[in-house]
Amino acid sequence: MLRLCMTFALIWASLGSGIAADPYIAGMSSAKLSQEAQGRVLLDELNCVACHGAGNSLTRDAKKSPRLARVSARLNPYHLEAFIQNPHGLKAGTTMPEVMHQMPEGERRKAAEAITHFLMSLHDQDSFMPTAPDHVAAEYGRDVFHQRGCVACHSPRNDQGEETMTDESVPLGDLSKKYSFKSLVHFLRRPHEVRPSGRMPDMRLPGRETEQVAHYLLQNTRTPGHLKFTTWRGQVWEGLHSPEVTKERGGMVRNVELSSLGQVHHNSAIRYEGFIRADSPGEFRFMVEMNGGVLRVNGRDVINQTPSNRRGVKKLEGKANILKEWSPFSFDYFHTGRDPKLTFEIEGPGFPRAGLPANMLSVSNQEIAPYTPWQVDQKQVEEGKRYFSALGCVQCHDDVRAERQTYASLAELNSNKGCLSQQVGIWPRFSLSEAQRRALQAALPDADQMLEPEAQLNKGLVSFNCIACHERRGLGGISDSRETYFSGSKPELGNQGRIPPPLTDVGAKLTSEWMREVMIHGKRQRKYVNVSMPQFGEGNVGHLMDLFATLDDLEVAKIPEADGLKAAGHQLIGTDGLSCIACHDFNGQKAGGAGALELIDTTKRLQQNWFHLYMRDPSRFHPLVIMPSYWPGGVAARKEILEGDPGLQIEALWQYLSDGRKARNPVGLSRQSDEIRVTDVAEMCRGRGPAGYRGIAVGYPNGLSLAFDSEQMNLRSIWKGEFASARPNSWSPRGGDRITFPAGIPFHNLEDWDAEWPYKGKTDYLFPHDHGYQYRGYFLDGKKRPIFTYEYQGIMVEDYFEDVMDDKGASYFKRTLTLDAAVATAPFHFRLGAGKKVERIGNNIYRVDGMNLTLSGVTGAKIRDGDPQELLVPLAVPEGKMELVVEYRW
Amino acid sequence: MVNKFLAAPASHCLRAVSLALSVKGFACGVFLSLHVPIRAAEDLGDMWGTGEREAQYYTITEIPIPPEVPLKAGSFDVLPDGRLAVGTRKGDVYFVDGAFDTPPNPSFHLFASGQDEIFGIAAHEDGSVTITQFGEVTRLSDTDGDGQADRFYALGNYWGYAEGHEFAFGSKPDPEGNIWVALGLSGSYKSNNFLRGWAVKVTPDGRTIPVCSGLRSPGGVGPNAEGAMFVFESQGPWNGSCSLKHLKPGGFLGHPASYNWYPLVDGLDAPPVEPESKSRITVEKKRVKELVPPTILFPYKKMGRSISGFKVDQTGGKFGPFEDQIFCGDYTLSIVMRATTEKINGVWQGACYPFREGLNTGIMSVEFTPKGQLIAGGFTTNRQWPVRGLKPFALERIDWTGQTPFEIQEINIRPEGFRLHFTEPVDKVVAADPETYEVTTYCHIYAGFYGSPEVDHTTGKVTRVEVAADGLAVDLDLDALQEGHIHDFDLKAMKSSQGEPLLHRKAYYTVNEIPQGP
Repeated sequence: MLRLCMTFALIWASLGSGIAADPYIAGMSSAKLSQEAQGRVLLDELNCVACHGAGNSLTRDAKKSPRLARVSARLNPYHLEAFIQNPHGLKAGTTMPEVMHQMPEGERRKAAEAITHFLMSLHDQDSFMPTAPDHVAAEYGRDVFHQRGCVACHSPRNDQGEETMTDESVPLGDLSKKYSFKSLVHFLRRPHEVRPSGRMPDMRLPGRETEQVAHYLLQNTRTPGHLKFTTWRGQVWEGLHSPEVTKERGGMVRNVELSSLGQVHHNSAIRYEGFIRADSPGEFRFMVEMNGGVLRVNGRDVINQTPSNRRGVKKLEGKANILKEWSPFSFDYFHTGRDPKLTFEIEGPGFPRAGLPANMLSVSNQEIAPYTPWQVDQKQVEEGKRYFSALGCVQCHDDVRAERQTYASLAELNSNKGCLSQQVGIWPRFSLSEAQRRALQAALPDADQMLEPEAQLNKGLVSFNCIACHERRGLGGISDSRETYFSGSKPELGNQGRIPPPLTDVGAKLTSEWMREVMIHGKRQRKYVNVSMPQFGEGNVGHLMDLFATLDDLEVAKIPEADGLKAAGHQLIGTDGLSCIACHDFNGQKAGGAGALELIDTTKRLQQNWFHLYMRDPSRFHPLVIMPSYWPGGVAARKEILEGDPGLQIEALWQYLSDGRKARNPVGLSRQSDEIRVTDVAEMCRGRGPAGYRGIAVGYPNGLSLAFDSEQMNLRSIWKGEFASARPNSWSPRGGDRITFPAGIPFHNLEDWDAEWPYKGKTDYLFPHDHGYQYRGYFLDGKKRPIFTYEYQGIMVEDYFEDVMDDKGASYFKRTLTLDAAVATAPFHFRLGAGKKVERIGNNIYRVDGMNLTLSGVTGAKIRDGDPQELLVPLAVPEGKMELVVEYRW
Repeated sequence: MVNKFLAAPASHCLRAVSLALSVKGFACGVFLSLHVPIRAAEDLGDMWGTGEREAQYYTITEIPIPPEVPLKAGSFDVLPDGRLAVGTRKGDVYFVDGAFDTPPNPSFHLFASGQDEIFGIAAHEDGSVTITQFGEVTRLSDTDGDGQADRFYALGNYWGYAEGHEFAFGSKPDPEGNIWVALGLSGSYKSNNFLRGWAVKVTPDGRTIPVCSGLRSPGGVGPNAEGAMFVFESQGPWNGSCSLKHLKPGGFLGHPASYNWYPLVDGLDAPPVEPESKSRITVEKKRVKELVPPTILFPYKKMGRSISGFKVDQTGGKFGPFEDQIFCGDYTLSIVMRATTEKINGVWQGACYPFREGLNTGIMSVEFTPKGQLIAGGFTTNRQWPVRGLKPFALERIDWTGQTPFEIQEINIRPEGFRLHFTEPVDKVVAADPETYEVTTYCHIYAGFYGSPEVDHTTGKVTRVEVAADGLAVDLDLDALQEGHIHDFDLKAMKSSQGEPLLHRKAYYTVNEIPQGP
């Protein structure tokens, strides 16, 4: 075992390239692994154990083949058939072996056809249908493909869409022949449904980006149709190349009628391109009513009217010969100006005046055969199934039900024969390179032995090609040829702003919780790095987390034992101290320029020991780090804080940051951002929003927020999570779990039980002053939480919401209403809640839709039927003060 | 001097270029999105072209604002401890120390936040401030002495506020402690919510009292040196140009959309008639007895397009020779102007004068400092309204250099004409020549449509000139005075006894009343 571990040490040998037909294993091209270690990787990646049984981790780590039970909905059957017949020809570098190489060509063709019938028979196949790509989305998709990390494994492409690094990339084959747009998007969103072993990760791209990539990869899909279209939006009258104009979408349509495009926005432009012909050729008249546009037939302008956003439509006319053969047709149409519209009519030999019919138009001057669904031949299905079993397909594609074969176990293998020989035979042919063959031969004798942790980890990092983006202890990292594809949105951050962090010592750096967040839930801390952190699946990479933790061990930092350093930490982080916030984002608020790593999660993310080591010497962990040391040579830059003791100062920062989102706002933090973040004290904003124009929003430290209408003095909504975005004179809530309350005053003497609860209608100009109300502002408590005050018919009301956290860490609102009357009042009602459904669920506990209200200080609340149902509390204030407490849980 | 931005059609390009530069200058900041030159090509009118000469007498100093402070000033006052109090559009109140130092050495302290666009702030002896925000007048105090407000007492909010554009501008307290609040209409044409288009008084004991109707889109509110309360009004329907208006209790100030609230206001009855559109103020004020004619008309574009701020110079001469005169800014043109008032036959009228151009943002407010400097500041918005000054927001200070400019100090009306006061003695020969004075007059159509051209032009014939012995005043007799007209003075030939031309040769006097002879 020790020996195996040693052989995983760094040896300058690389394989995986060379003969194009070698199975290409992404990580192995850049990893520095011994021959034997390479063999272990190959055993996994070629799924040797699918035939040659073995115990231990080999079975766990082996790469399962694509699931085929539902392949009929996913892949073009004609491509499937061709691929089965000649996998290495259609996709050089695939790990799929040739299993029919020993058969005569005629039989190969027959077997492939039968297997295709069999596979197509397994599941519904009607849903597979190629569609024309959106060539505009494809343009955006090109950037996504090259920037978000796809090209870390797959080949980048040139302007013509040709792969430029085929011999050092995971092959894709011609995807336009393989997938439909729908099936490729489905695959990219949930790759592990089809490829369960996670080598193709879930890139966690936004839906739109996934679609753009799919359009890009399928841009060569050819389907018959009439016209290709492209749309633009913006100040189109300035021309389509104006910086104020954005290309929007593309595709195919039947003709130039706008209705075929769905909604056409004002100030947009459409370019139609294709070919035109007529059954009776000759001179045609074109009659077009539009604001502006260019019509070209057979290379000549027929109509050319400059668009203008300052006028309406014009009636335009032109003549052109339409031939019997397909000739080029293009029409740029500008939907701009006053009351834009388009009418497009033609008139010609044997063609009375009418719209331009689709049958005169085609996207191509050559015939494109329509896709015809595969017709399953039941007679061939059984035969296909037999082939599927006999040829060993089922060994790897084991989700398909067919009879499995038994082969020699791994331990019994002769490493010079069968798959590892160079002879043709009944075994699969992987087209192994000589180096791959030797690597497998070297690995086989000890293949059933468990690897040492470091060797196991390295094998995982290579199999999942983590090293395509992350360096770790010299194992590998971004290759020179791909380095240029790593970009970021914050050039000020240098390489750290574009290259994912190294994994060296990561097990001693990240907390296990954070590591889990990143590896299993796709958490991203460095949003400025353009490549995404892919997800490989917990079952596939979960064990790597333990290995990092086991293997990474740093010396113990000197952490002073001292409490109560938060205030010093607060001082250090702000502009009066080390000004950390000059570069780092803090609690979502953007720093002045650099936009460096968000600090608020520091103690959740990092191990305390690592923080201390890192802060003393950042460049030790990151050779190109921009962050300077603030204690160079152990001497503090700010000597007046904590007597300049480096350990205490670093610990002070740690203790301060351990308050997380509730850490006090540092001095000098920008107030420029629209988003208001709540830290240790409440934040407020007011103006137009979901509580009317006089609404006041309050964000509380325990992650709760509310909106109070200072006009009608009522609670209008409560929500959880982030607080609000505010612009001058308006705000909007963020967060979620929002509960809203109807407009209306809080107190009212409801004399008629059927009367509507009073609220301000558009013409109730004097409301609610005419009901005896006057708003009087608020006090702030020590946490800057408002105590709203208002008058109601001689009663002085204080309305106080506190955010409380219970033992389980759940936050709720505790609302205390203090009513102070100089003289005892007549009875009236307090409308506590209103909703679709109000019910009593306990003693003084009520459920209003999704919220529980617990009431104390009064009894006898009544539920009033209606829409909404209302919870009304009868009140009468004696002389002096009375107090009423309501808890809001939701 | 040629207007460098706006002289000819080609100048539009120049303006666009300079905007682009300003955007580039801020590219690393957060301002980028705030300054989209949507209406940049709009003609803002000629500049006066006097900026370079003005700088000899009045310098403009920028008070630097740190990047983290969004100081879009809406209103200023000076605290008893000498700090500048700033209410902002974001709803913050900052106290600024060191803004009056030379050079400025400001530090910004956030006193309160979370309010709704502050366009009125008044400091009190106890360190508290009263602000006017969109929906209410609020007194902000620090009761626990930690330097931040913790009591936000709503003094008054008894007016409707349910649409955009329903601005509220507040005064400093009057001698009784009332804050006067001018409430903009719901847009230009309508008063959809209670008291929109009215001015109200919010009393120290928390009552809101309607004062007068007929406003459109007011700016700064304040008293003149005699204590009468005024407001700046913007050009638009029923307002041929911007103007200074007297908030006369019980009066009707010109825009009839706000008539609808009389039935809901105790103690005030609606005027029996409404003004007729496409008429003249002089005609309609005889029909509508409550109509208070604008005190001073500010000819459009020549003298502002959206006047803001209101402050009387009571610096005791520290700011130069304009004691007791009103100073105001202009949002669109980034300028500061002067105005003087006098009461004739019981009606206020007066004149306006150019003062200083070339400020760097849209001016929302002006305020005198204890050192006799004038603070001016404000902001631009990204799409609502064009502004000549290019900065998204700025805080600037105008300091008097101590050198007295040769200026028309004030114009007063006389039964036969006017008396022109000058800051320096005039050249008596030039001043005695009637040809030195060009006086034209014009007024506006008083109508429900937006703005008005200048109409009914006349030329005033100077029939007699008398120069005072000290050379500091000139009496001009005209062949006729035109009631209801702006009297547009151009003294282009005037020279001081030192041979200097006037710094600003223009002045505009609005004649509402003609005094009786002795």
